[in-house]
This record gives sequence, C-alpha cells and structure tokens, in this order.
Amino acid sequence: MTSLAVAEGRQLAPKDYKSDLPPIWCPGCGDFGVLSALYKAMSVCNLDPDRTVIVSGIGCSSRLPGFVATYGFHGVHGRVLPVATGIKCARPDLNVIGVGGDGDGYSIGGGHLPHAARRNPDITYLVMNNNTYGLTKGQVSPTSMVPLASVGARIDPKRWKTTPYGNTETSINPVALAVAMDCSFVARGFSYKPNQLAEILVEAIRHRGFALVDVFSPCPTFNQDQTDEFYRHRTFDVPADHDPTDRSAAFALASREDAYPLGILYRHPEKPNIVDEQEFLRKRWKHPEGEDDHLALLEELLGRFT
Amino acid sequence: MTEETAASVTGTDLVIRFVGESGGGTVTLGDVMVEMFTQLGLDIYTFQTFPAEIKGGTVMYQLRAKSGVTLSPGDSVDILVALNREGFSLFGDGLSDHAILLYNSDEFTPPPDAARVDIPLPITALAREEKEAIRHELEGEILKRLPPPVNTVGLGALMALVGAPLEPAETYLRKVFGRKGDAVVRMNVNALHTGARHVAEQLNGRQFVQVHPVAHKARRLMVTGNQMLSMGAIAAGMRFYAGYPITPASEIMEFLARELPAFGGTVIQAEDEIAALGMCLGASYAGTKAMTATSGPGLSLMVEQINLAGQAEIPVVIADVQRGGASTGLPTKTSQGDLNLAIYGMHNESPRVVLACSSVEDTFWTTVEAFNLAEEFQCPVLLLSDQSLATRRSTVPPPDLTKLRLTNRRIPTTEELAGGYVRYRDTPDGVSPMAVPGTPKGVYTSTGIEHDESGDPAYSPEIATKMKAKRFRKLDALLERHGRRLVRLWGEHGTADVGIIAYGSLEGVIREATERAAGEGIRVAHLQLRLLHPFPREPVLDFAQRCRVLLVPELTWSGQLANWIKVNTNLDVVSLRKDDGLPFLSRDIYNRIVTLAEKNLVRSSRS
Repeated sequence: MTSLAVAEGRQLAPKDYKSDLPPIWCPGCGDFGVLSALYKAMSVCNLDPDRTVIVSGIGCSSRLPGFVATYGFHGVHGRVLPVATGIKCARPDLNVIGVGGDGDGYSIGGGHLPHAARRNPDITYLVMNNNTYGLTKGQVSPTSMVPLASVGARIDPKRWKTTPYGNTETSINPVALAVAMDCSFVARGFSYKPNQLAEILVEAIRHRGFALVDVFSPCPTFNQDQTDEFYRHRTFDVPADHDPTDRSAAFALASREDAYPLGILYRHPEKPNIVDEQEFLRKRWKHPEGEDDHLALLEELLGRFT
Repeated sequence: MTEETAASVTGTDLVIRFVGESGGGTVTLGDVMVEMFTQLGLDIYTFQTFPAEIKGGTVMYQLRAKSGVTLSPGDSVDILVALNREGFSLFGDGLSDHAILLYNSDEFTPPPDAARVDIPLPITALAREEKEAIRHELEGEILKRLPPPVNTVGLGALMALVGAPLEPAETYLRKVFGRKGDAVVRMNVNALHTGARHVAEQLNGRQFVQVHPVAHKARRLMVTGNQMLSMGAIAAGMRFYAGYPITPASEIMEFLARELPAFGGTVIQAEDEIAALGMCLGASYAGTKAMTATSGPGLSLMVEQINLAGQAEIPVVIADVQRGGASTGLPTKTSQGDLNLAIYGMHNESPRVVLACSSVEDTFWTTVEAFNLAEEFQCPVLLLSDQSLATRRSTVPPPDLTKLRLTNRRIPTTEELAGGYVRYRDTPDGVSPMAVPGTPKGVYTSTGIEHDESGDPAYSPEIATKMKAKRFRKLDALLERHGRRLVRLWGEHGTADVGIIAYGSLEGVIREATERAAGEGIRVAHLQLRLLHPFPREPVLDFAQRCRVLLVPELTWSGQLANWIKVNTNLDVVSLRKDDGLPFLSRDIYNRIVTLAEKNLVRSSRS
C-alpha cells in the first residue's frame, strides 16, 4: 500500500519547489498560474522533492518539469502516461505527477488515456488545456472551439492556421470522456483561479489512483478566442450539493456545453489499481532478497527445463 | 542417402519431419518425440514453420536427434510423418534416399516411390478403437470431450520405427494423463502399444533405423530461444517488462508473466508498442532494469523513443524477434530483414548498440551482455533474434551461473552529489553519473531536448556539438573495451580459402557447412558477429586479411549485412542471400563454399 512520500521533519514552502530555471512561457500565459498552483499544492502536501518525479511530453506546458526542483522526465510527444505508469509501477514509493497540454494528452497521446484510467495507477495527470497547439504556433487542437466550416463564414484565416475556413471536425470534451472511462478522479480547474486550482490539485495528489485534472490555461499568443475573459464568463463552480461519487450526475455535469463546471466532478475511490494488484501478485511468492536468493531461484527455474 | 545425414542404420543422426494440419496435434507429437529423444540422451535441434492462421493450414515440425552436438535441423529427412495429404504435398520433398514415410492411411495414400519405404498407419481408426474400448468406464461429458489418442498411437509407431524402448514413453504418458484418471491412462498406454505393434508387424523384423541411447553425466536443458532470452533477462537483473503481443515474440511476455513476479518483478501488457517502450523507459529511469520484446512491425513503432533513450541516456533493452516480410508479411516465418531498422531506424542520430543472439545456448549470454552494455553505456541496446531461433527447441548445457557478471549503471558518488550534481557531465568515456530518483541532492530532469551538462535545455552550436560528441564517445569506449570480445571465430585459424562473415541464427548451419568443407580439405574460416553496431571494424579487417574471399550469407532480400560490412570496411564481399521465410540449409552454405574455393583455385593456378 503506497502513500505520499513527504518531506520528513520539515515543512516546505511553495518557493522551495522552485528550480533555478526561469519559465520560458510568453507573458500572460495561463501556465504561470498553473505552476504557482502546483507549487502551492505540493507545499500543502509537503511532498518530498527527492522522491517526486514530474513527467511531461512535448509542448509549451511540457517544459514545466524543468521549473520544479524535483526529479523530472521530459520525454517525447504524447507519451506522458506510459512513462509515468512505468515509473510508478517500478517504484511505488515515488510521487508521480504527469503534465502536458491538450494536444499531447488528447490527440497524439489520447490512446493512452483509457488505459491509464483502467490501470488506475496512483498518478496525478495535469493537462494544461489552451484549446490550441501553442508551441507549433496555432494549429487546431482536439479541444479547439473553432466554428465549423458550415457556420464559420467570419473565421479569420490568420488566426486558425489549419482551419482557415472553419473547422471540419467537432471538439472533444475531455472531462466527460474521463468520467465515461471511469477515470477514478476527474476535475477541472482554471489557471486564473489559482487558489481553487491548488485545492483541486491537493485532492488529486492525495487521491489514490489515476487523477485527471483538466485546466483551462489560455494562450494569449495563439488563441484570441478562449481567453481568460472568455472562461471567466463561461465557467461556474461545481454546485456544493454535487455528489462526485454519482457517476451519472458527474457525467451530466461534465457534459455541460453552455458553461463549464470548475471543481471535482467525479471520484471512484475504491477502484482497484495496478500498483496494488501487482504488489498482491508478487506477494504470492516469498521474494528473493540477496543476490544469492535470486541465483538460487534462477537455478530452480532453469532446473525445470532439465 | 546423402553423406551428411549419416546412414540411419547407426541411428546416431536422425531427422524426423512431422507435417499435418495446424492445430491438429502435429506439434504435440513433435514435442513428445523431443522429450523421448532427450531422455535417450540425444542432442536435439528443431525447426518449426507455421501458417499464419490458428486452425487450418499446414504446420511443419522438423526434429534432428544426434548423439553429438547438433548444429542444424538437418538437410534431408530420414523419417517423414505425414498426417494429412496437404502436408505431404507441401513438405514431402527433401527426403534422403530410402527415407521412411509413415503416413495416416485413413487420410490419404501417397503415390508410390521406389526410393521410399512406405508404412501406412490407420492412425485415426486405431485411436478411435482405443477410445471405444474404455467408453463404458466414462461419464457422458468427459467422454464427449476426450479426444481419441491419435498422438499416442503415432508416438508408439515412431518408437517402434526407431527401435526405442517403450518404457520411457509409458512413464511419460502416466505423468501427463495421471490426473485424468486410470481409464484415460490405460487408453493411452494401450494406444502406445497398438501403434508400436502395428509398425512392428509391417517391419516384420527389418529395423531400418536404430537409435542408440547416450549416457550423459552432465545435466542438460531442453529449451527454446525465447525461453532462454527470458531467463537471460532475469539473470541479468531485469525486473520490469512491458510488451505488446506480436508473433513470434509473445512467448517472452507469456513466460515472464508467469515467472517474473516470483523474482519481485513486474510485467505489464501495454496498449501498444509505443506505450511498452515508454513504460520501460520510465521504469529504467526510476532505477529498475527494463526490457521490451517485439518483432519488426512493433520495432518500427518504437523508433522515436529509441532516440529518446539515446538522447536522454537511459539504459533499456529492446529484443527484436525478427519475422519474415514487410508489413504483415510472413508473420510466422523467419528472416534477418530488420538489421537496417535496428541500425539505422532513427531520426537524426543518437547512440545505440545492436547485438545478435546466435543459438539457443548463446541467447542466454548475449541477453545478459545486452543488459550489461545498456547499463555500462546508458543507452538503448537492440537485441536481435529471429523466428527460427526463438521457436527452436534445443538441448543445451545449463548456463554456468558462477560465470555470471553483472554491470550496473554508474551512480553519482557522495562527492559528486555534494558538489552540485551534474547529470550529463562530459567525461573521457562519455559516461556520466546517473542518479536514481529518491537520491537526495540528485534531482535533475531527464530530457530528449538538447541540453547542457546539467540537463538544462541549451541549443548553441557549441553545446550541440559538445554533447553529441559526448554521447557518441561512449560507442568508441564500447568498441575499445568490448569490440574484440563480441565476435566469435570458428573453423580455420590461419589463412583461409573462404572466409564467412555472418550473424544470428545462421551460426549452426555455417559451422556445420564449414566442418564438412574442412573435411574435404577446404580451409574455411567463420567470423560470427555478436556485435553489429557499433561495427567491430578491427576484428573484421584482421579476419579479412587472412581470407582469400569473403562470403556473407544472410536472410535478407537486399544484402543488408553485406552492405553494412561494405559501408564500414570497404571490403569486397560475396553476398549470399534469400528471404523466403525459411532458414538456410547447411548444404546451401556448403555448396557456395565449394564453388568459391574452386574459383579461387582456378584463379590462383592461372596467376
């Protein structure tokens, strides 16, 4: 049974999680707010930096591990979840946090999402959703809200580079999708509400299982439509009487398209997870301890082929 | 009978080929005969070729039993066991003179051939009779599910045909069927004797083949290449495996799923090959030795992250059990067609190592080698096997575990941690200290983006050159430390009329061809490359100097190995290649050796 690896005998402040590397994001990028909220949440949980790994993919937001004074893994585009799963299963004693953008998590890496949900490793996955591809300078993403070609007569071709005449595809709703996948913790935050986001992240980090936190994190450089103003007017806090363990209610709430709920949408705390199951499986045998034990066990295995 | 399959009267070298419908018990019968011959102390070498379908299609299982070291599945067949007509028409060739055909006479009658001794066996009918005999003793459902003992009748027939005692077979049947109850055991034992009696009546005192038991003092293993690869990985300290099912590599994951948990390890069946390698990189980054195994199509999906492992300097082993054809191609057949992918499969350039397993015995040690090199040089190691080697069952001496030497990655010293840890420190051999998460003062970000020594992103031309040089310097160090050790020399040690350079599963057939040619006075040397990349240039050039002509046999269409040798050495080589899904026969190599030696004689007599 794993629990959080916390700093023993000392209380760390948010600034203690800052690395020496200054963030390279554009002025006004939503990711600054996400990073502050993450420092704060890590401090509240008092995570041990030496036993914490932040894994990312590729994209503006995926540069985040370098800005945190913990272990980091900045891999390839879209493979945050396999790498994080490998780390957590090999080393259940480590805190593992995955981060990335909407293109990384929902497009190129989208195929890994249902499998992370069904394996349910104790990983927090923070998606900085800016509804566009920022690092490649403004192409349509799976969460882009570009009007459809059939209704998009006034689309600005300079603004949406790969959908100059309007989108020919609809977007996906990642939180509704995650509830449908029975992802054991689903929440949504907004980078311009850093205190609420920090509280959500604390809950996500403490959750024992796979936690998806989708965060609206506007890109002021390449997305002039989904700005902080846009989200301020189209978001609302999850109602106090919402029961996150009620999956149908969670799905209905997550599926709202007129306005987007902020907060914890769904929880399935008792969902089995791969780390515990693997540990259970290993416990069927008396584990070899020293090198000699391993060799003796190997000799026995080889002996079965005589 | 051809000269290389010694006259079967002595019974010391026997090739049996089983053919029948896939899923119809052909493989089982072959496996049981392997058991029997192993118990008789003979050395075994098998070759199997399957259709791509689960049911239907024809499977061929060739088994060679020999009283000495067995290097190939044999060039010609002494006993053909044909369970259906299609099998006979597809695989009925390649028989030695006076070969015996044991066939299921309930299924078909072969056209007569005076060069053959035909023994019809109504195997279906005989098996049905045996089942009928115990019908009254069994319940309805059990009776319905109980197949007639077709394979056991076949087993008895074969044991009689090769003049082997029936007792070991009886013991075996009691062991296998014991838990199914007395009636089932009796049915099988009776079927065994029925099959034997039926053949004995037809032989009528003539014993065409006689096997001679060999007493072995030493313990021997009967294993496949895939099993040895799995056990080599466990021996090397691999405790994390992630993979995605693919023929012919799946058996590795299945084996490890059963065995690795007892060693405290983890096996995950990933959602695809990309995820499989991603998980392995995560696990290895976290300090656990990790492996994935796949075949060509899966390897091509892994290419991007192989570069990540090279760039971020993460040790990992990727086994590629090569199969035939491009795209889906010939998924159940053999090939060496992934050599280019293993060596060149990357965007831009990053360091990697390519090793090849050459026999079932060698697979254990080369797998250990793969992990040791991955750890020593903190880079991806591609470990090549192929279908014929992976599914080959072979009798081998058990690996001597006292010879096991394991390498672990260089971790930072206390001083290195205290003085501000530098993950990618530029060192004389390019190998930097790698901290395991959990190490105080060791935090760093592992990254595929170009970075300075500390791991921070950096893109100046100076840094880009310096860091790339640092990473590639590791390959120079590898060649210097291990290059000469990672080739094997066979055959002639002096000046040779013909020199053969090859790798992988061809080892055995080449050695057999070399020995045969040497017996006829042709001096043949054989250089077997265990290390393919970085290319062991010096040992290859030394070898080439003492050979009058170089022959490069390989199972590829375009001559990938021959090209790789030329690129690295500028040597002129004669390329011998085919890529039809089947391995070379020893005589394919032998014939080419003879032709080349004769040409040389002509040339030298003219000069």
